[in-house]
Amino acid sequence: MTYTSFLKSECLVLWRRKYDIFNALLFFIMVVVLFPLGVNASPEFLAPAAGGIIWCAAVLAILMSIESMFKEDYSDGSLEQLVVSGLSLPLLVLIKISLQWVAVIFPLLVMMPLLSEMLYLSSGIFWVLVVTLIIGTPSLFLIGAIGSALTVSIKQGGVLLMLLILPFYLPVIIFATSAIQTAQSGLPYSGLLALLLAISLLFLVVSPFMTAISIKASVN
Amino acid sequence: MNWTWFHKLGSPKWFFLWSKSYALPLFFLGSVALVVGLIWGLAFTPADYLQGNSFRIIYIHVPVAILAQSCYLGLGFSGLIFLIWQMKIAPIFIQSIAPIGAVMALIALVSGAVWGKPTWGTWWVWDARLTSVLVLFLLYMGIIGLKNALDDVALANKSVAVIGAVGLINLPIIKYSVIWWNTLHQGATFTLTEKPAMAAEMWIPLLISVIGMYCLVASLVLWRMQSIILEREHRSNWVKQEVMNNGF
Repeated sequence: MTYTSFLKSECLVLWRRKYDIFNALLFFIMVVVLFPLGVNASPEFLAPAAGGIIWCAAVLAILMSIESMFKEDYSDGSLEQLVVSGLSLPLLVLIKISLQWVAVIFPLLVMMPLLSEMLYLSSGIFWVLVVTLIIGTPSLFLIGAIGSALTVSIKQGGVLLMLLILPFYLPVIIFATSAIQTAQSGLPYSGLLALLLAISLLFLVVSPFMTAISIKASVN
Repeated sequence: MNWTWFHKLGSPKWFFLWSKSYALPLFFLGSVALVVGLIWGLAFTPADYLQGNSFRIIYIHVPVAILAQSCYLGLGFSGLIFLIWQMKIAPIFIQSIAPIGAVMALIALVSGAVWGKPTWGTWWVWDARLTSVLVLFLLYMGIIGLKNALDDVALANKSVAVIGAVGLINLPIIKYSVIWWNTLHQGATFTLTEKPAMAAEMWIPLLISVIGMYCLVASLVLWRMQSIILEREHRSNWVKQEVMNNGF
């Protein structure tokens, strides 16, 4: 196995399991639709809350797609093959996480204009939302990979995974939504974007190694 | 400097024998200091000119809140120590301190809510510090849950160490949250570099109860660690000897 063959096979696996991602995206849309129906459908409520609604829905959808990240590989034994392949496990993990990120975030961004229109988000703020999603969501996937690797051997690990991971997601959500809110009130928001990027870069360094440690411990 | 004593403490046996004589004195010291600090603070300290008597809850709230963070600091660093040096005692420490830290965070939240009602007018404010203590509590619960869900001891040790070390990143966010979002909560009561802004007769009993709380928690952690060591090593000869000689 080489890095390129791993990359190719991962792409193929993602393509064969495209309905998992499709389901996560449908779930995302459902959550977004629940807010106008459940809370308030007036533009006065939705326009200021849109960034937060979209971010919370995106976090839930990402959590759904992350839960199964290593599950199948663990049960069919291919996770073991990664450990004994002689390649750098953190690098393989990083490849897997990046592919998953692209596969979930790209369709999410494609749907974003539609949803932001439904939530009455103004077009100037729309680009801030897109930027926060692009630089903020990598950290969600990187943190999620750690949790997914930790709970991979537990049968009903889904709820535990949420309990483990959501605390780490909170700063990301807070910074992203406050960047959108400061942009809406016309204040400079680049500092908050920088913090988001800082969190993503921090976990880019930490997460592959921590995930690799957890995978090695789980596979034994 | 000779580091042998430190490496010795990494082995459960040495740690058990070393810590045996510390738990009880620490417990008495902590209880006495806590009782002195609390009685002094609750009964003899003058009332605050602004908040009246309601400020007295500070003598419970602040020690507990400090301990909730300190416990996590210890937990996170011992997670790192376990990942780097594989010290056997580190996961035992994590396992014994996690529930205590969770209780400290919970008491901090409840006492903070009780204090917030008369001074801010609400039980709960979505202030950065309150939220981060809530997050701290959830982190503790996640660690305890993960520990309980994993049956394999070696896997549980590794997993808990990983999540503890990653959670260490949360602590700076707690510390700087007051500066980042400047909201209702007052600044830190104690800093190492400056003199406290409170009057001396107010902060001295507070300092005593903080120290008392540290000693109390340390003794509880030592006791929990000793019982976990006995449980994990119950097959080894030295435990049998220990039980034969001292009787439990």
